[in-house]
Amino acid sequence: MTLHAEGISVVLGDKVILDAVDLIAPVGQVTAVCGPNGSGKSTLLRAVTGDIAHGGRVTLNGQDITALPPWVLSGTRGVLAQHTSLAFPFKVFEVVRMGLTAGTAATEPEIVPAALSRVGLGNYGDRFYHDLSGGEAQRVQLARVLAQIWYATDAGTPRWLFLDEPVASLDIAHQLAVMEIARSYAKQGGGVVAVMHDLNLTAMFADHMMLLKEGRVQAAGTPRDVMTDDILRTTYDCPVRVGVAPAGEVPWVLPHAAAS
Amino acid sequence: MADFAPSGEARPGAVSAAALGDDRLQRARLAHLGLASALSIMFIASLSVGATDVSLWTVASKVLSGEQLTLLEHTVFFDIRLPRTALGVVVGAGLAVSGVLMQGLFRNPLADPGLVGVSAGATFGAVAAIVLGGMLPVAVSTWVGAALIPTAAFVGAWVSMTVLYRVATRNGRTSVATMLLGGIAIGALVMAAVGMMVYVADDLQLRELTFWQLGSLTGASWPKLVFAMPAILIACGVGYYLAHGLNGLSLGEATAGHMGVNVQALKRVTILATAAATGAAVAVSGGIGFVGIVVPHLLRLATGPDHRPLLLNAALLGGALLLGADMIARVIVAPAELPIGIITALLGAPVFLWILLRNRAIVDL
Repeated sequence: MTLHAEGISVVLGDKVILDAVDLIAPVGQVTAVCGPNGSGKSTLLRAVTGDIAHGGRVTLNGQDITALPPWVLSGTRGVLAQHTSLAFPFKVFEVVRMGLTAGTAATEPEIVPAALSRVGLGNYGDRFYHDLSGGEAQRVQLARVLAQIWYATDAGTPRWLFLDEPVASLDIAHQLAVMEIARSYAKQGGGVVAVMHDLNLTAMFADHMMLLKEGRVQAAGTPRDVMTDDILRTTYDCPVRVGVAPAGEVPWVLPHAAAS
Repeated sequence: MADFAPSGEARPGAVSAAALGDDRLQRARLAHLGLASALSIMFIASLSVGATDVSLWTVASKVLSGEQLTLLEHTVFFDIRLPRTALGVVVGAGLAVSGVLMQGLFRNPLADPGLVGVSAGATFGAVAAIVLGGMLPVAVSTWVGAALIPTAAFVGAWVSMTVLYRVATRNGRTSVATMLLGGIAIGALVMAAVGMMVYVADDLQLRELTFWQLGSLTGASWPKLVFAMPAILIACGVGYYLAHGLNGLSLGEATAGHMGVNVQALKRVTILATAAATGAAVAVSGGIGFVGIVVPHLLRLATGPDHRPLLLNAALLGGALLLGADMIARVIVAPAELPIGIITALLGAPVFLWILLRNRAIVDL
């Protein structure tokens, strides 16, 4: 039971965004996709979630995702986009409730307050979504996605959580909290694929990572294997020094100015 | 099944659903009852009010006691007021529901069939059917019969809405400014075509055409009701079925898709249902504006934007509002009567401006 993306290519106009990228994400682990701006990270995520046309093949738990209608796919995977706009004045509670399927809405409506508590917004249900800060809104969207795939497995079949830069608008405490949610989901038997900018958070939380540059895979493996001075410098065109985090076990990345 | 809630955390249930915002859903359900009662009261009032002094009470007591109605009573009640009132309910519901559907599709509270050229498209269809219908081969016109005008109005509404959607939406994102300006352009183009039809029309056709430009329930009749009611009822029913998808669409096309909504099918069916409701309403009553924008907006303020209760409440309030406007139109200058479109515009245009001012940021003009 894995996410298996093989030879993913995306071409927009005459620009190659992704060039035959392979991504294998095992269940029970957090897989991070990193790389510089414009390297194709988000495009790769959109390809494996079935949002855009692409070359290559994506299978989720052994099934080709193009063969699954959206209502079936939505029971297997949830997707948190980088930005989500909301057209009408819904309340927080109502936004999260949209994540419930017809089945769980009837039998387990209590998932909604539980999902809100999970992202630390247990008291926010009655607020208007449009009154929230960017970070709070992003956590409400995460709660909605969690409500959609609340149980990490469904009769033994793993569910998948796809996150596109989930911590981009969050303070450090909530960055950790959201990454803890991702890790916890994987530990419960689900799969997690996250597009990440923050290499230190990636080192702390990812079991497996992939570095993209200009639409190609630069390196893949555990953060310990991938995060070396050389690999990061060539990928990001930026001098970096990789050390060991004070906690002791994971790499710790410090970019520094070229002159120093 | 592995429960995602980490061990040690309290199981959900500590916070009751009602405490977290379900009050709006309950309020919306209460509104079903309140608005259904309001509609019933308006229905009875509309049957009682008119230029001729025929009271509902007299007619009802005569019918119940088996007494013979006078010709005047029979004509006024069964041939004029009853079909007119029933048509008012159906048209009001149709206009309000098409407003809800269109706003859900465009993800914008300012979308209204009357404002962005969809009603104009239906008007063109109806006018073209009146003026050019005579040119159809006899076999065809006999076969199509009285369905020609409503069908043409539906096709006109569908074409203009499809064009508008293509113009205003790119990569799943609708630009409000493009929608409003594109709507104005489509409306102008279509009204120019209507003008050409009026130019080539003969005297008899001109008299029939004048009716569409005013927007009125005056010509209400049982055959019109027979055409309008099924189309609008189907649109309301289909709309109710689409409500879950439209809720998802309010988070954007991609997110709706992630949540399991078949977005392409949703869009196609919403356009068809909106065109059916708008086309049917325009075919029987001309262009009555602003119901589709006022009714959904007031209901969203009162009971929230959830499309499922919103659609039912919009149908009820739309019917009640149009009956109210029609009664005003009938009595304010009695024995003459004002076109109902004037009343709905007087009520609706300020509400539209109000919404525009409140949402200035999203309109970005």
